[in-house]
Amino acid sequence: MMQTRSELMLKKKPKRWIMNLVFTLALATGVVWSFNKATYNELRLRTFGTSIRIMIEQFQQINWNFFWGTYPWEATDGVVFMTIQTLAIAFLGTLLGAVLAIPFSLLASKNIVGKRFAVIGEIILTMIRVFPELILALILVKGFGINAFTGLLAIGLHSIGMLGKLFSETIDHMDKSSLEALDAVGANVWQKVKYGIIPEIVPDISSVTLYRLDINVRSASVLGIIGAGGLGSTMMLAGENWNWSTLGAILIAIVVMVMVVDVVSSYLRNKLV
Amino acid sequence: MIKFVDVSKTYPNGVQALRKVNLEINKGEFVAIIGLSGAGKSTLLRSINKMIPITSGQLFLDNTEISSIKGRALRRLRRSIGMIFQSFNLVKRMSVYNNVLTGRVAYRSTLRTLFGFFPREDKMLALESLDTMGILDKAFIRADQLSGGQQQRVALARALTQQPRLILADEPVASLDPITTVQVMDDFARINRDFGITIVANMHHVDLALKYANRIIGIKEGSIVFDGGSSQITDDILVNIYGRSLKHDEVLGE
Amino acid sequence: MVILVGLVVGFWQFIRLDPGYNPEGFRLDQLWIIVEKLFTPQRGRDWSDLFRYMLTLENPLLQTLKMCFAGTIIGSLMAFPLAILSAKNIVKTPIIYWPMRILMNLIRTIPTMVLAVIAVIFVGTGLLAGIIALILFTFGIMSKMLYEVIETIDMGSYEALESTGANKVQSFRFAVLPQIFPIFLGYILYIFEINIRSSAILAYVGAEGIGTPIRDNTLYNYDYVGATIIVLLALILIVQGISGLVRRKLQ
Repeated sequence: MMQTRSELMLKKKPKRWIMNLVFTLALATGVVWSFNKATYNELRLRTFGTSIRIMIEQFQQINWNFFWGTYPWEATDGVVFMTIQTLAIAFLGTLLGAVLAIPFSLLASKNIVGKRFAVIGEIILTMIRVFPELILALILVKGFGINAFTGLLAIGLHSIGMLGKLFSETIDHMDKSSLEALDAVGANVWQKVKYGIIPEIVPDISSVTLYRLDINVRSASVLGIIGAGGLGSTMMLAGENWNWSTLGAILIAIVVMVMVVDVVSSYLRNKLV
Repeated sequence: MIKFVDVSKTYPNGVQALRKVNLEINKGEFVAIIGLSGAGKSTLLRSINKMIPITSGQLFLDNTEISSIKGRALRRLRRSIGMIFQSFNLVKRMSVYNNVLTGRVAYRSTLRTLFGFFPREDKMLALESLDTMGILDKAFIRADQLSGGQQQRVALARALTQQPRLILADEPVASLDPITTVQVMDDFARINRDFGITIVANMHHVDLALKYANRIIGIKEGSIVFDGGSSQITDDILVNIYGRSLKHDEVLGE
Repeated sequence: MVILVGLVVGFWQFIRLDPGYNPEGFRLDQLWIIVEKLFTPQRGRDWSDLFRYMLTLENPLLQTLKMCFAGTIIGSLMAFPLAILSAKNIVKTPIIYWPMRILMNLIRTIPTMVLAVIAVIFVGTGLLAGIIALILFTFGIMSKMLYEVIETIDMGSYEALESTGANKVQSFRFAVLPQIFPIFLGYILYIFEINIRSSAILAYVGAEGIGTPIRDNTLYNYDYVGATIIVLLALILIVQGISGLVRRKLQ
C-alpha cells in the first residue's frame, strides 16, 4: 500500500516528549534527593501543633511597651525607633550607593569608554556585586563598630555593585537619536550631556534606584542580626527565646514598613515611566 | 443552517451593535459581510458561535436555539465551527503541526490533551489538513517563522482539522499583501467548493467580496441594508452601505 | 529636591543616635587588619592547610545547593497555580484574584531571613528550615512575577482556542502556557541566583549551608572565614554566569 504524504510526515515528527520526560524526572529526582539528610529537629517538628498554638496565643498579647520603647522618639530600644532606623539605613545606604555607582557605571558602559575598558569596569562591578551584604557587614563591623552606620555602609557598598551594573545597562541602551539631533544643531559636549543624555536616563535610573531601595529595606532589617542596627538584632534574640509577643511586634513593624515602601516605590516608579 | 430572528446586541457601555437583525444562511453558501468599521460586522460574526452573546432575539444553529446553551454543550457546538482571525491567532512558539493539532483539542478529554496525547487519527487529520493547504512540508517549523499568508493557511488547516460544518472568518485577508490575499481567498473558495463547508466572512475589501462570495450581506449601523447575490450589487447600494463612495483601501484593485 | 535633603538630614539623626555609634571609635586600621587576617593563614597554619580546608567545604557547599535547588523548584511550582488564579485575564472575577494577591503580597513582604527565623522556630535548625524558608520566599516572589507576565501576553491565540470549543484549562495549556514557559524558566534561574546569595545569611540563622562555617569560625579562625568567603564568592560567580548564559539562550 502506498503511503500518503501525511503518513510519511508523521514518521518524521520530532519526538520531543522523550526529552521533556527525562528532564522532568531528573528534576524530580534532584528535589527528592535534596531532602535526603536534610537535618531538622525532630522534637520541634513533632510539637508543631503546639508551637502554632503558642504562637497564636502570644501573638495576641503583643508587647506594646516594647513597641513604643520608653520614649517613642528618643528611645533607642523601641520598635518604632528601630523601624525608622532601618529605613534610615536603607535610604541613606541606597543614596550612597547610587551616587557612588555613577562613576563606576560610566566606566563599565560601552557607550562612554569603549568596549575594552568597559569590560574591565564590568569585572570590577561584578566583583563588588558578588559580596553578600551580610559578609560585607561582618567585615565592616570591625572597623566601624556594631552600630547602624556599619549597616549603612554595607548596604551602600553592595548597592554600588548592583546599581552600577543597572546604570551602565541603561546608558548602553539609551536612545541616541536625541543626541544626533543635538549634534545637528551644533551643541557642545556639556549641552549634549545636559539636554540629550540626562533627560533620557534620569527616569530609568530613578526607577532602578527606587527598586533597589525596596530591596535594601528588606536587607536592612536583616542586617541587624550581626548588630548592624535596625530590627534585626532584637529579632534574633526574640526568635531564640520563642518570645512571640516581641517577635510579633517586630514582624508587624517589618511587614508594615515593607508594604509602605513597596506602595510608595511602585507609585513613584509608575509616575516616572 | 444559521437563522437570526430579531437579534439585537447592546454592549454594556450602551453601544447598540445589532438592531433586530433577521437573517438566514444556508448550508454550503459562501457569504461575505461588508460594511464600515463599527457597523456591526464583527458582532454579527461572533454572535454565531456565541463568542459574543446576544442581548435579545433568537439565534438558531441547525434548528437549535443557542441563547441558553453554555458549558459543555456550547463547547460541543463550537467544535464544529472553525474561526479565522485577521491576526491569525496562532501560538507563535509552537510548531505548525502542534498549532493545527489544537483543532482537535475540543474533541478529546482534558486529561489526555493536557499531557499532549492525541490519538493517531487526530495526528493524521492534522497532517492531512496541512497537506490540503499545501504546506505539509512546513509542519515542524515554528509558526512565527512563516510568512503572513502561510500563517493564515495554518489557521485554515487548524479550522479544517476540526472537521467543521461552518467556518467564520473575521477579515481574514486584511493583513495580507495583494498576491497572498488572492491565494488565501482562493483557498477559501476551494474549501467551500470541495468540502461543502459553509463560509461566512467579514470582508474589508469590497471587490474581493463580490468576486468570491455568492451572497453578500451589507450592514450599516447594526441593521442589514442589503442581502442578495453579488451580481445584484450596484454602486448606489454600495454608497448606501458605506455612506459614501468607496475609499481607495476598500478596493483591492487588480 | 528640598524634600530629599530634608529626608537625608532626618534619617541621619537616627543613625547618629544609635548607641553603638562612635565616630571617634572608628578603627579603620582595625578594618585593614581584619581584611588581612581574613586572607592570610592564621595560628600556625600555612597555605596548604588553608587549601585543604577549602576542600572540606565541599559538604556545606552541597548542602547549600540542595537547599536552594529544592526551595526554588518547589516554591516555583507552588507559585504557578496561584499566579494563574491571580491573573486578570484568565480569572475574570475579582472575588477570586483579589484575596490571592493579598496573600501573595503578605508573604513577599517578609524578608528571607525572617522567614528563616520562623522556620527555625518551627522545625529546629538544620537544612529543612532553610528549604522551607526558600520555598516560601520563592513562592511569594514568583507568584507576583508570574501573574504579571500572564497579564501581558497576547490573548489572541487563547481566544482562537476557545472558539474551537476547548475549555478553559485546555485553552490555557495550549495558548498561554507555551508563551510563558520560557519566561518561567528564566525566572526560576533568576530566583535561584538570589537564593544562593541569601544562603550565607540563612546559615547564620541556623539553616545549614555554606554560611555555617562562617558563623562557626568568626571568632578565632579568620582565615577559615576568609577561605569560606572565597568559596562562596566563587559559587555565586559560577551560578551567575551559568544562569546568565542559559537565560540568554532562552530568549
